[in-house]
Amino acid sequence: MDGDRELLHKLLDGELPPEEAAALMERMNAEPLLREEFDLLGRAVSLLENSGRKAAPLSFTPEVMRALPEGTKESLPRTSRGRLPSRNDWKGFRDFFFRERMVRWNMAAALATVFLAVVILGGVLSYRKDMQSPYSNSSGSAVTARFKFYSPDAKRVSIAGDFNKWNIDEGTMKRRGKGTWTIEIPLTPGAYNYMFVVDGDVWVTDPEAEAYRDDGFGYKNSVVRVNSL
Amino acid sequence: MHTDEYTIIKECADGNKEAYAVLVERYQDMIYNTAYRMLGDGEAARDMAQECFISAYNSLKYFKCDSKFSTWLYSIAINKCRDYLRCRRPHVQLDGISEIMACSGPTPDEELHNKQVQDRIQAALNALPESYREAVVLKHIEGLDYKEMEGILGVDAGALKVRTHRGREMLKRLLKEDSLDGRG
Repeated sequence: MDGDRELLHKLLDGELPPEEAAALMERMNAEPLLREEFDLLGRAVSLLENSGRKAAPLSFTPEVMRALPEGTKESLPRTSRGRLPSRNDWKGFRDFFFRERMVRWNMAAALATVFLAVVILGGVLSYRKDMQSPYSNSSGSAVTARFKFYSPDAKRVSIAGDFNKWNIDEGTMKRRGKGTWTIEIPLTPGAYNYMFVVDGDVWVTDPEAEAYRDDGFGYKNSVVRVNSL
Repeated sequence: MHTDEYTIIKECADGNKEAYAVLVERYQDMIYNTAYRMLGDGEAARDMAQECFISAYNSLKYFKCDSKFSTWLYSIAINKCRDYLRCRRPHVQLDGISEIMACSGPTPDEELHNKQVQDRIQAALNALPESYREAVVLKHIEGLDYKEMEGILGVDAGALKVRTHRGREMLKRLLKEDSLDGRG
């Protein structure tokens, strides 16, 4: 029987030559015990193969990203007290103000960012009323949320969400660097669903979103929360 | 391997942390599922899968681009699971399976029944020796061939076939129809 078992496993793995497979199948027709062995094995394999993959929790990717160590490009150069900044130091200052960032709206980060955004942008917006975004409303102070998406092969990336009535034409993102797409959107406090749209027709959930919400169609929307001061 | 993968890996190795999110999103289900099937515990699987991605990120500069990124991730995940199991509880004995598998009877609710079947499949996997479970999970749940399994587990295909065959024999007994119908 051990020899037969080995043949049955080879048959399951598709490793028996056709003529040997045919001979074994013929034997199974004549030998019910052999057939039963094969059926039980096949059933166990079928149960495993149909059990499917367990999906990772929705917050899996953001949690991993938060746990990663800071990369060398993210770190800022330090200037010693009493020494004039060198050319590299100026690069550091420039990087500090203009380098790409992803805003994560947990409470602490949101409060800090909202404070900075209001101080810096509040004055600017008060002088330039014509910069008022269609996404903001008069019920609260708008703060700037910066969205970022990495897609080196994309020709065009947009953001669509509650804040622009899911109109991808109103959320065209700008390509920066080798494949990072960004957009800044003034938003009043609240929670907003959104997704990125690659090349006009591929809808992608933000892998770095703070939270996710089912959209009722089998997909998950990214969620950004903007808190008031 | 996705055509953009080498580009993304290069970006990550150069310090662009954001690019790594694409890889995590792409492979999170594959790694989480492997860890879940190996450990039989959602929380532990989440921790091990996350540790896998963090270790991979820290070691990206050592990744050889002539191999598949998914193969490399699998091998890290399997090693994490082995370490976890080594430090954790003793192996579930075969005798324990009957209690798990008979814990609830049949139900007209199809969804609940499917969950029970899933639980019993996982309980049966938990009862296998680790080396058999690794082989069976990669072969029949992740759908890999023996050649790729060789690269992940560092064991030659002949030995992996033996482990898979023995694992299947044990599962055949554990997953007999009467126990799945709630009578066993």
